[in-house]
Amino acid sequence: MSNNGAYPIVTVRIQRFNPDTDKKPYLQEFQVELKPGTTVLDALHEIKAHQDGSVTFRRSCRHAICGSCAMNVNGKNELVCKAPLKERLDRKGRVTIRPLPYLPIVKDLVVDRSSFWEQYQRVKPWLVPPENIPEKEFRMSPEEVAALRNAETCIMCGACYSSCQIIALTKEYIGPHALLKAFMRVMDPRDAIPGERLADLAGGDGVYRCRTIFNCIDACPKGLNPTEAIETLRKLAQKRQAFEAARAERQKRLSEPIPSP
Amino acid sequence: MYTSSGFISFALRRLTGIALVIYLFMHMWVIGSVNAGPEAFNARLNFFQQPFFKLMEVALLAAVVFHAVDGIRVMVVHYTGVTEYRKSMFYAVLIVSVLLVIAGGVPIIRFILEGK
Amino acid sequence: MRVFQMQRISAIALLIFLTIHMIVVHYPPFHINFDIILQRMADPLWKAIDIAFLFFVLVHALAGAYVVLTDVQRFSPLKRVFAGAAIVLGVVAMYYGTVTILAFQPPA
Repeated sequence: MSNNGAYPIVTVRIQRFNPDTDKKPYLQEFQVELKPGTTVLDALHEIKAHQDGSVTFRRSCRHAICGSCAMNVNGKNELVCKAPLKERLDRKGRVTIRPLPYLPIVKDLVVDRSSFWEQYQRVKPWLVPPENIPEKEFRMSPEEVAALRNAETCIMCGACYSSCQIIALTKEYIGPHALLKAFMRVMDPRDAIPGERLADLAGGDGVYRCRTIFNCIDACPKGLNPTEAIETLRKLAQKRQAFEAARAERQKRLSEPIPSP
Repeated sequence: MYTSSGFISFALRRLTGIALVIYLFMHMWVIGSVNAGPEAFNARLNFFQQPFFKLMEVALLAAVVFHAVDGIRVMVVHYTGVTEYRKSMFYAVLIVSVLLVIAGGVPIIRFILEGK
Repeated sequence: MRVFQMQRISAIALLIFLTIHMIVVHYPPFHINFDIILQRMADPLWKAIDIAFLFFVLVHALAGAYVVLTDVQRFSPLKRVFAGAAIVLGVVAMYYGTVTILAFQPPA
């Protein structure tokens, strides 16, 4: 802290919980300098480096692409590495950082995300290629790419998953993150098993568990729209056989050039 | 707790839904007294038409109206896939519900006061 | 049929039936007694409308209660018990309600 007193001091409240010694999580206040251009993650770093080394949180890339640092800032889930500290201050000049809600806390701001990954595995998030793989490349039309609605930019940060109230009620629900991924695979013209995927997703824990609360849209740091993906999957699940037939037809000309309109 | 307009409407829809299920079976029990003859029906209906119960009917109306209007909103989302206007739609539901409850509640309250 | 679809179809039906029910049966407010209801219920069409209304309202209420309960993870092992209870309760209530509606006859 070289130029002491040059910057305004702000209060950062962090929810602390050590399962070995604490019975309940509690809020601890720290004072940090508000330097220009700093993020909430920078404040956490400052606290861990100079004030209390026991503050525990996860972060990796600091560029909003690794998905490690999703936390609950002032009641909203977001990536702390791209949250400007100045804009997150409330009226009293404080910022409150809690771990992602509705998930078991491991320590301080670190949560147990096993259910998140288990549900992710469950939807077979990988591409199942067709039998006749083209020699050169798969061809997709711009419309087919647009229909994916940028779902491939999901970074698996868990912000949507832990903002969903259905996840709070039951961990059996597949969750918005996995449904968005499943949507991307179903809509991908290269995928060979859209019917099987839709049959799985139309089961009791899949798309019909969504209650359209919209929290996943508000929480997504990448501006994706899991609710719309779920609505699309619901519609496709209704006409599964027709969709499957259309896909089989489409895969016969995967290597052909896309006819220009 | 992760609060948002979507969560508030979800919670209210659930709570009014549970209340209406309970009310439905009470309603069937009250009307079911007709099986014991018109006299029993009139006696039980008279009991449930005291001003207090009439006032509760305004609350019942509010629950029905909110549940219905919010249900319309959810179905609009299902069938059109509109998600951009989620906040505006929530406030629209609140305003429409309040207007309908006023429109339906004023006659009930006037009926209690005039006691016809 | 899925509970989800049942809920939506009955919801659309209820929007129509409940509007009719509220406007015709409860507005403008009046002191309800047997004779007043009998005037309307003497028409068999009204009895048919009320029985259809009863059916949709029971579907919607019991499916809704089933969904609310099974959304809680703790109750999920009891899914089939809830489904069975809802069907039994629905059949009994449908029978009782139909008998009630048909009981609005001029006293012999």
